[in-house]
Amino acid sequence: MRQAGAYSGLLCGGVSGRTGPHSLPLARIKKIMKNSGEGVKMISGEAPIIFSKACDLFIEELTRRSWIMAIQGKRRTLHKEDLASAVIATDIFDFLITLVSNSDSHAVGGATNVMEVETIDYS
Amino acid sequence: MEDIGGSSSNDNNNNGGIIKEQDRLLPIANVGRLMKRILPQNAKISKEAKETMQECVSEFISFVTSEASEKCRKERRKTVNGDDICWALATLGFDNYAEPMRRYLHRYREVEVDHNKVNLQEKGNSPEEKDDELFKLSNRGVGL
Repeated sequence: MRQAGAYSGLLCGGVSGRTGPHSLPLARIKKIMKNSGEGVKMISGEAPIIFSKACDLFIEELTRRSWIMAIQGKRRTLHKEDLASAVIATDIFDFLITLVSNSDSHAVGGATNVMEVETIDYS
Repeated sequence: MEDIGGSSSNDNNNNGGIIKEQDRLLPIANVGRLMKRILPQNAKISKEAKETMQECVSEFISFVTSEASEKCRKERRKTVNGDDICWALATLGFDNYAEPMRRYLHRYREVEVDHNKVNLQEKGNSPEEKDDELFKLSNRGVGL
């Protein structure tokens, strides 16, 4: 079994690790993995690398589905509500429903429940 | 999920086991760039949409990692590896991701083996070269 240390070269190279135009920082992915639960003991060096690619696919799929929602609303700007609609409409994203429904998760000041605000038609 | 209620740029590292807010999410610039390349050129993305995507991606990583970690626990292994991630993706309904990820993992391991051979002959192979190799592999496409 390969150990995490064997890949230290891939996890070095700056605070956030390798970051190209189409990649995500491996060190940050590893931190998120570490914080996903007490059960996560050790992480092989290859796991964050696999995740950086899997996250590409995830972002691509959720963005595409969100864009369909924006188009149906006759808009060309992707809004938070579009992501929420895409999550609600897609079975494999059901683990995100609570997250996207917390409209105040990163609002500043008084939170408005945007899910109940009528979408402005920009057309 | 954790409701900190402040801006995600808040760097405050509370001494209560709460990780830095910045470290909880992937960088918004990277996430925004990946989103932008999927959309038509005339499309725009609100900042809130990018922030929501940041949250969703972190949740995705945690969700899949927890499943992979549980498998390791049952099998009495301590290290979560690439195969566990691929297995967890398939188990959680991301079948369309699992197969390209397995191919990517296999190619990655091939590259790693090659580099180990090269390293035995050429001392001083830099991490940058390894990164470049992986980067090229990443952009070669995995048969999607």
